[in-house]
Amino acid sequence: MAVSLADLPKGHEFAETRFELTPEWVAQYRAAVEDASSDPSGAPPPLSLATLSMRALLEEAALPSGAIHVSQEISFSLGRQSSDFVVAKARVASRGERAGWVLMAIDLEVEDETGTPMMNGRATITFPAVAQGVR
Amino acid sequence: MQRTERVRAYQAGDVLPVITKTLTQEKVNRYAKVSCDGNPLHTDPVFAATTHFGGTIAHGMLVLAYISELMTVAFGRPWSVSGHLKVRFRGAARPGDTVTASGRVLRIEDGTTSCEVECRNQNGEVLISGEASLRTQ
Repeated sequence: MAVSLADLPKGHEFAETRFELTPEWVAQYRAAVEDASSDPSGAPPPLSLATLSMRALLEEAALPSGAIHVSQEISFSLGRQSSDFVVAKARVASRGERAGWVLMAIDLEVEDETGTPMMNGRATITFPAVAQGVR
Repeated sequence: MQRTERVRAYQAGDVLPVITKTLTQEKVNRYAKVSCDGNPLHTDPVFAATTHFGGTIAHGMLVLAYISELMTVAFGRPWSVSGHLKVRFRGAARPGDTVTASGRVLRIEDGTTSCEVECRNQNGEVLISGEASLRTQ
């Protein structure tokens, strides 16, 4: 991993990442969050897509030490899945600095392979402006 | 065992089903693995002890999943198809905490049901608060 999120400017677009939404991964996600609910359609837990989209950006850039998730906005539209593959996209929507802390908003999207939106949202994180270390 | 409560018609003011979980470091580590988010603030007690948190904390998205589960239990499929969630992370959830996710219907307008949702720890401290909405008609 070469870069830190701290190094990325506003407008930076992360590489699109294709994931296979395997039953095994969904089961691991359900176990991790102890999600005992079920959707009769068999759709994965909606928030699992948000987790995948965050994973996509973390595969390209590391979180700076001390990064904190401030807020999250997410919309779901999990219709009938056309395949097990999904594509995650992310973009640095804004970046500001105040009182020694960087506030960064990252737009997140997940689509199926046909380009049909499944999830979109915005994660806002903050981290010390002087953060250098990537752990 | 998976559970889905019978989805019922809610009215403004109705209280949604409550979800309660107890966090452990093992659970936080499990989420770190599945999400590939190995931020040491979540997984490294030695590093986390040097931060102002004084120890590891759970990923916000792990705790937020409890609210999403609550909405699935309350509303079923419409939550996956048309759900919208807007929250702020207000406090840190730590291993050992018992987290309760709860919600209440605020209004039903033009086929959209809006709910206030939150997570609190065993001391009543708010960890997450915000609004969840979905199309119900």
